[in-house]
Amino acid sequence: MKRRISKPGEFIKGVPIAVWLLALVAIPLIFTFIMSFYSSSGLVIDRTLTLKNYKLFFTDPLYARILFKTIRLAVAISMLSIAAAFPLAYMVSFKVRRGRNLLFMLCIIPLWVSYLVRIIAWRTILGNRGVINSALMALGLIKEPLTFFLYNQFAIAITLTYICIPFVFIPVYTALEKIPRNLLDAANDLGANELRTFYNVILPLGLPGLVTGFIFSFIIALGDYIIPLQLGGTQGIMFGNLVWSQFGFAFNWPLGAALGFILFIIAVAILGLTSKFGSTEGGFLGE
Amino acid sequence: MRGRGTGLKIYGTLIFVFLYFPMVIVLLFSFSPTRTIVGLSGLTLKWYQELFQDPRLLIAFWHTVMVGLCAVAIATVFGTAGAFFVTRVEFPGKGVFRALVMLPFLLPGIIMGVTLLIFFRNLNVHLSMFTILMGHVSFTTPLVMFQVSSRLSRMGPTYRWAAMDLGANPVQTFWHVTLPMIRTALIGAGLLAFTVSFDEIVISYFLTGTWMTLPVYIYGMMRFGLSPKVYAISTIILILSLVLITFMARYTGRSADTYRVRKRDAG
Amino acid sequence: MKADNAIDLVNVTKKFDEVTAVSKFTVEIRKGEFFSLLGPSGCGKTTTLRMIAGLEVPTEGQILLEGGDVSSTPAYRRNVNTVFQDYALFPHMTVRKNIYFPLKMKKISPSEAETRIERVLRLVNMEGFGNRLPQQLSGGQRQRIALARSLVNEPAALLLDEPLGALDFKLRVAMQKVLKDIQRNVGITFIYVTHDQSEAMTMSDRIAVMKDGLAHQIATPDEIYNNPSTAFVASFIGDMNFVHGTVLDNDGKTCVLDVEGQKVTAKRAVDLGKGAAALVCIRTERVQVNPHRSVENRVSAELSRIIYRGTDYEATCRIGRAELRAVVQAVTWDAALRVGGTVELAWNAEDVIVFPREEEKDVIKYSGEAV
Repeated sequence: MKRRISKPGEFIKGVPIAVWLLALVAIPLIFTFIMSFYSSSGLVIDRTLTLKNYKLFFTDPLYARILFKTIRLAVAISMLSIAAAFPLAYMVSFKVRRGRNLLFMLCIIPLWVSYLVRIIAWRTILGNRGVINSALMALGLIKEPLTFFLYNQFAIAITLTYICIPFVFIPVYTALEKIPRNLLDAANDLGANELRTFYNVILPLGLPGLVTGFIFSFIIALGDYIIPLQLGGTQGIMFGNLVWSQFGFAFNWPLGAALGFILFIIAVAILGLTSKFGSTEGGFLGE
Repeated sequence: MRGRGTGLKIYGTLIFVFLYFPMVIVLLFSFSPTRTIVGLSGLTLKWYQELFQDPRLLIAFWHTVMVGLCAVAIATVFGTAGAFFVTRVEFPGKGVFRALVMLPFLLPGIIMGVTLLIFFRNLNVHLSMFTILMGHVSFTTPLVMFQVSSRLSRMGPTYRWAAMDLGANPVQTFWHVTLPMIRTALIGAGLLAFTVSFDEIVISYFLTGTWMTLPVYIYGMMRFGLSPKVYAISTIILILSLVLITFMARYTGRSADTYRVRKRDAG
Repeated sequence: MKADNAIDLVNVTKKFDEVTAVSKFTVEIRKGEFFSLLGPSGCGKTTTLRMIAGLEVPTEGQILLEGGDVSSTPAYRRNVNTVFQDYALFPHMTVRKNIYFPLKMKKISPSEAETRIERVLRLVNMEGFGNRLPQQLSGGQRQRIALARSLVNEPAALLLDEPLGALDFKLRVAMQKVLKDIQRNVGITFIYVTHDQSEAMTMSDRIAVMKDGLAHQIATPDEIYNNPSTAFVASFIGDMNFVHGTVLDNDGKTCVLDVEGQKVTAKRAVDLGKGAAALVCIRTERVQVNPHRSVENRVSAELSRIIYRGTDYEATCRIGRAELRAVVQAVTWDAALRVGGTVELAWNAEDVIVFPREEEKDVIKYSGEAV
């Protein structure tokens, strides 16, 4: 018995949020889209419309290669995050009786710990004179510090996984919590052992949360440029760095706008998929 | 589910170690006089003292608090208005509208950074506190809106109907009934928005000129290696965010209602 | 539209987009009356109530409150109050503050309010609960407080939207009595929405039975039970047998029908001509099994099922393709009866109700007790 469209007078409530949406989201996006058709010569932006930037993206193999590398790494990070967060969510949701709230809090606290602090921590751990190397040297296992920890894709992957784990944990945990416990009793009653209950009941019902978690971590990993700058070194250049550098030392804003817009399209396409296959509720903020 | 799953518990413990080990490291390093963890000889507060002697860092800290508070204030107004709009007004394409509003929070920060930078440049707005603040308003608004609108839809329309039915006009209904009932959600959302804003760097980095927030300033410090001062400020941030989350946990989510009842029962 | 009516509905219609929720509803509700809107979900009873409350605006028609047109008056300026299904007690206010709320809106002085709050708390038997929070009360207690809050302003009418729906069966029955007593005490008009026919029957002075936005019958419980105006009403209230029949003879006072080759007489005005297809209705408790006294209608049937229900037995019998159920008091039940045996069923001609066969589609199959 719901009206499909409210009375026109009601729409006045939408004015503030519409203003915000236009000023900080829609118009900036349109400006970016327009700028992506400009070109840059030296420090001057040429405002004649051209497809040059997009042509460059599709013809110069560098861009496709880095985009592909970024996507591959983002997928790997998402898988790692799931591998860490799913069992954790399963454990907290099903295997723990006492102290469940505490464990839950412990799982999501890292979400609110400063991004920069986490980067600092991992640089400290993985660095040449870092925690791992010092420990190994102190134990006499190595003489010279190992250099393969930092400034490569491994360092990016481990740090981003660290950041993404809570983002996977929350939607998965929310999905698992919704599974009626009597369903498990029913499965046990029907003679399914734990493994089969897991495959036939828990996994399918937890899947929407899993998809949401996957996509969150994928998006986070896809667009990050600070972590590659800090921990990636030369072989850790990601698509985000490519975008960033156009606004920094390369100073080619139109190309940056085009690359940014391409990233936007990819992200929106993937988020569109989430709304189709994932659970939207309990997604990120816990309410 | 009986006592099995020992393997799972070991695995879970390892993940917890993975989650908390880095934080412990930062904590330890901030008190270590020697910059290394091995052969930790005594504890020192030297680095904390140095923090307070760095005027630029203190200014950056103050800037961050200011941006955070302003962003929370603005985002609360826009986000709450938006929440009322999406829960109370029906129109076709509402789902798309909701998704559009969530975008700044869901998209990689770099996209918001790029688009806002281009936007401000087109309007000839110089990079300043204002640009950073707008960047922060962009992603804190959907956060507030999400929290408030989920509280509103969980509340349902009956309380509002009841208030009107009992003689309260729309303004009185809002003031005496709706507002007190979403108060905890507002506080929680504000704390959440402040926590996120306090820490933000990905968008801010694009919109920062000479007026710096703390994360941007620390980022600058990190370019010359990790000084012990970085650990000290990191520890302070760590503790600050822990305090903020503890408060937040009291105000957001399902726990808030039960919390209130329990408190009254005890008292 | 007499001046002493509490509420008049005149041709009230409500459409949501293309769906008509309430269609041309006209009724006069008298002051002090306990009036129920009864019907299955989606029949428009709640929408009607919400229009009276002012929470919905009628698409057409008029609503009069004590003679004055309030059709477009907002809820907060109408002198009616509602008890909502989930009570809608404000969780951030104590019981006292909840009850004070409508008084505060009317700007009634705190000292005056205090006496009125105490009086109404006493009325619902909840003295001493003033400082509790709604969350600390049981369902039945919340119900009473919601009632007190709606009554404290002494409204022209109290609207109740399935107020007992959330309570368990025993509490519901107890609360029905409480409600009825309170209504008698305060003398305020109650308009009561329910889908539970037994609830409506026990409490109401009059009932409007609704289906698909239409009021099928507006009458006293007794009238509705004994003289239902449509097959829907007949099926929705009480336990009714429905069998097919054909009109053999009809003189306007007595109607003779053929049911599975046996003659059935109905002593009432039936608006069907000779040969018309009819739906013949007999209340299950009016069907007698092997009666001693002689009555007008007697048919022989085969006993196909016996169900013992404590106070009574339900005997299902076959007459050709038709099925008739008889509910017999346990004390008068003949223990010798067996499934498969032949019995004689009988009933008075006054107890036979006849409707046109077209109305069969409106018949609610498993009405019984409200689910």
